Amino acid sequence: MGTVIVDGIEVTVGDNERLNGIQAAERAGIDVPHYCWHPGLSVVASCRMCLVEQGTKDPTTGKITMIPKVVPACQTPAKDGTVFVTNSDKVKQCRAQVEEALLIDHPIDCPICDKAGECRLQDYYFEHGQQERRADLKPFHSPKRDMGDTVTLFVDRCVMCTRCVRFTREITGTSELMVTHRGSHEEIDVFPGYPLANKMSGNVVDLCPVGALGDKDFMYSQRVWFMKSHPGVCTGCSTGCNIDVEENQDRVYRLTPRENMHVNQWWMCDEGRYGYHHVHAEDRVVGPRRFEGGKHVNVEWTTVTAELKQKLTAAGRLGAVLSPHLTVEEAYLLIKFIRGIDPAAVLALGPVPVVGTDERFPNGFTIHAEKAPNRRGIEILLAHFGGKILSFADFQKELDAKTIRAAWVSGGYKKSDWNDETTARKFAGLDLLVVQDMFASPLWNAATYQLPGGSFAERDGSYVNFQDRLQAVKSAVRPPVGAWVEGQLYWRLLERPGLFQSRKALVEAATEVPALHLAIEGIPATGLDLNVNKLAEAKTVAATV
Amino acid sequence: MKTDDPSVRWIDEPKLGLTGKMYLPAIIQGLAVTTKHLFGPKMTVSFPEQRPEIGNPLIYRGVHRLNKDEQGRVKCVACFLCATACPAHCIDIIAAPSPWPDRDKYCESFTIDELRCIFCGMCEEACPVDAVELTSMFDLTGRSREEMIFDKEKLLSVYDQTKDAEPMKSRVMGASP
Amino acid sequence: MLAISIEALIKIALLMGGLMTGAAYFVLLERWIAAWVQDRKGPNRVGVPLTKIKLFGLGQPLADGLKFIFKEEHTPRHVDKILFTLAPISILAAALAIYAVIPFGSVLPKDGIPGVSHQIELIVAPGIDVGMIYIFALSSIAVYGVILGGWASNSKYSLLGGLRSSAQLIAYELPMGLAIVGVVLMTGSLRLEDVIGMQAASGIWTAFSQPLGFVIFVVASFAEAARLPFDLPEAEQELVGGYHTEYAGMRLIVYLIAEFLHMITASFLIAILFLGGWHFWGITGSSTTEVTWFQAIARIVVLNIKIFGIIVFFMMIRWSWPRFRFDQLMSLAWKVMLPLGLVNLVAVACLVEYQPALESKLGAVGITASMWGIALVAWIAAGIFAPLHSDNTARKDSFVLEAESRNRGLRTTAPGQAT
Repeated sequence: MGTVIVDGIEVTVGDNERLNGIQAAERAGIDVPHYCWHPGLSVVASCRMCLVEQGTKDPTTGKITMIPKVVPACQTPAKDGTVFVTNSDKVKQCRAQVEEALLIDHPIDCPICDKAGECRLQDYYFEHGQQERRADLKPFHSPKRDMGDTVTLFVDRCVMCTRCVRFTREITGTSELMVTHRGSHEEIDVFPGYPLANKMSGNVVDLCPVGALGDKDFMYSQRVWFMKSHPGVCTGCSTGCNIDVEENQDRVYRLTPRENMHVNQWWMCDEGRYGYHHVHAEDRVVGPRRFEGGKHVNVEWTTVTAELKQKLTAAGRLGAVLSPHLTVEEAYLLIKFIRGIDPAAVLALGPVPVVGTDERFPNGFTIHAEKAPNRRGIEILLAHFGGKILSFADFQKELDAKTIRAAWVSGGYKKSDWNDETTARKFAGLDLLVVQDMFASPLWNAATYQLPGGSFAERDGSYVNFQDRLQAVKSAVRPPVGAWVEGQLYWRLLERPGLFQSRKALVEAATEVPALHLAIEGIPATGLDLNVNKLAEAKTVAATV
Repeated sequence: MKTDDPSVRWIDEPKLGLTGKMYLPAIIQGLAVTTKHLFGPKMTVSFPEQRPEIGNPLIYRGVHRLNKDEQGRVKCVACFLCATACPAHCIDIIAAPSPWPDRDKYCESFTIDELRCIFCGMCEEACPVDAVELTSMFDLTGRSREEMIFDKEKLLSVYDQTKDAEPMKSRVMGASP
Repeated sequence: MLAISIEALIKIALLMGGLMTGAAYFVLLERWIAAWVQDRKGPNRVGVPLTKIKLFGLGQPLADGLKFIFKEEHTPRHVDKILFTLAPISILAAALAIYAVIPFGSVLPKDGIPGVSHQIELIVAPGIDVGMIYIFALSSIAVYGVILGGWASNSKYSLLGGLRSSAQLIAYELPMGLAIVGVVLMTGSLRLEDVIGMQAASGIWTAFSQPLGFVIFVVASFAEAARLPFDLPEAEQELVGGYHTEYAGMRLIVYLIAEFLHMITASFLIAILFLGGWHFWGITGSSTTEVTWFQAIARIVVLNIKIFGIIVFFMMIRWSWPRFRFDQLMSLAWKVMLPLGLVNLVAVACLVEYQPALESKLGAVGITASMWGIALVAWIAAGIFAPLHSDNTARKDSFVLEAESRNRGLRTTAPGQAT
């Protein structure tokens, strides 16, 4: 145990903790401005924005001796007896001068810079900068250069913090980015012929404290201050990276990683980052339809909810396919609904798309081959309700036996390629086939009832990722007119009052399913490890990340 | 607020003199004022025949226009600051990378809902490149709501119509172009 | 009998046509005067339909009327349907029926119209001995129209407007009656023709001989017609539209016409009772039976000019004076107008009782002068007494007063008086 004093506030530092001045100050509730330091990257202390006064307290006499120079807080370890002063005139002057030096070289093109509004340079200028300018304005324009397919570099906006360079060297290990030239001619660049092309390249945009690196996908599409950010979980693969879904007026503009040290740290992969476009795809199906007289005709949702239960009851033996894109709550409600009609209904896991193999980066970040967020969650529920976990292939075998007369298939996949004509033919013999999905597929075309469903950005609930961590998501946007999110449909079919409440459904599920018991108390922001008890017994290492 | 709140200041009615209490003098006084105005000069401007005089077009807040630069391109850089400043949320911009080498960003579409607009002039204040300006054209009418949603072309045409009578304000006011 | 019926019908047609057109154009005049007083030009666009001729906006009443006719006559769901319809009808009927006994001229010359043996009097129902009582009775029925409308609307604004109106009309009928009684005492008849005849014969208009009665009657007329400064029944700022808040379309215009008719009626009465009716010195003559064609027409013109002048006065007052507060309105009626009316009545009664003696002592001029003296003294006395000057300080809530009485020892000054 050690005690660090920051601006007169005493902060306790654990024996095994290795904190620097910025982190110690953060514990005291003091914000030390910084550009180049990032908790996930090595320390270079190049920006000099975090300069503080530092000293030592003599443990015996209690006398504090200060170093006459200012030191970068990011590079100064916080040991027992270390004293930091972050608010003296000297420190303030240093910050103002650093800020001035950075701004001399910086084009004042904030109006057209996508970073404006979340830019460190802007924030620190207002907080720590000096009001008068002693240099002329740079032109209202910054030359730009392609770094790769995803990122553009605005050369003049760069403050040379080298976060992006360190990211490619330390996190992805691909080392595409480098610093060229020397002194005031320094520029970030890539080697000729080797563009920034790793699978986590989008992170350099988030890392960039200024607007030098621009995301091509997001470029010029929206100003950041218009967007509302909603905590979510990436559904691109079974890693379950924590993300913020940023939207404005029911349109998602970008996904950014949210810090969660148990899952994704500060990062997310490009596949997840740019994998939201299907939410606003043109060909997304809207409006429920019913097959009658040889073609599908539009029906009202009220009609659908009114007659589905009756038709399913009349059909006989039921089967339900639970997509791994459903949340735990939705899957639970669907099971309740189907089992409420036919207690012996056959339940199966929907197809789990697997693409390639798991990709592991040097720092441990893994992109999983399993491209669905909630296989584990569905399996937990199936294990409880069905005993044995049937795969989609097993379910199709069951169909061959002709015992199942009606099936409910839930989709929610980002593409329509999760089934083909062969699959659709297997389902052809059924009396009643209900399919809820976002895009038309062969199975969708074969359905008696076509029910448009929700995308990941519209769902409320929780997913269980590959390491059995239960993570909650909140809906960020409303579904398009005519589509109902699965949870809302099941809620209505179960004749529950009002709108779908994921919290209520989760408590119900957690009460009933022993494996989910921990979730009764709610899910913390960083998720809930469902294996926590088992792990303690087995003493296995926690996450592979 | 309670009546005995110390911050409440009580003001007594002014005491009336005898003439005040007689009422008739006051009535005659009032009638004298109204009679004077009855025959006095009229302020009404008979609009279609007679155009109102706009004192200073620089501070008049009429229909918006989108200014063009020397090469006839729209000046707007699509920074959304006008849309941010707009209290009526009547400005809608779609930005895109500009097709010109010397500019990064421009507005692909720029629409102002003139029916929603309250003509406060905040967009003009906010614009960092003096692209949006309010002209002294005040008699805008339309036969449908759609017609009153001015798109980029229409706003640029307002500039063409008014540029001779009203040069760009930034230059008139002596600022650098 | 048939001839008399035809004669009456012609008179009614003339009167109705004149009144309705008059009411419509007085609306235009009101808008013009409002505009002019406010340094505007007023409605000047609507002229001859389908042409570009503007005629100073004289087509406006027609346009307004058409607008009202084609407007949706919306009946709110929550109203009492029968009374809701009945109210405007009753108020208009009463307002029009009053004109049965109001002369709109004098008489036509004997044998003036070929084939008519008797002398034609320019009044719908000539020779009614209880004319003024009839007027009073009908003008009271107007209150029914207002309060029925307010009640049937089933709306708080309408009800408050109706209540205010009834209280106001009842209050001001007293001083009005007292002022009329003065005139009746002097004339000795309840017929309006006789009142004019008396003034014409003596050459002294009642306004000169009874200044106090004249002022009281004018003020009370304003209140009866619910004109500013007494327009509390329909005070827009407080009550939306008063008793006709819920009305629209034709029913509303019936109310509005009735209101204007009240004003025209009041102008007729002021002109006839106090300003000599059709009489004007040197032009109209004074005989009620022997007239020339010139005199007969001149009398109609004079009467109409007087009425027009009074209506303009009504409208000017509207833009010169703010509205009374309701307590001030009531104070004025009961504490000022009623005593003054009594003073006037007593003075007139004494004058009539001792007329020969007084006339021999003071002469006609002396009598008039003494009436003016009485009026002046009474007016000044009322002014000094000043019942309208009320305490404007906000009433304290009872719990505040209680707390103050409990803490009396602790406080030196009450908060309201601290300066």
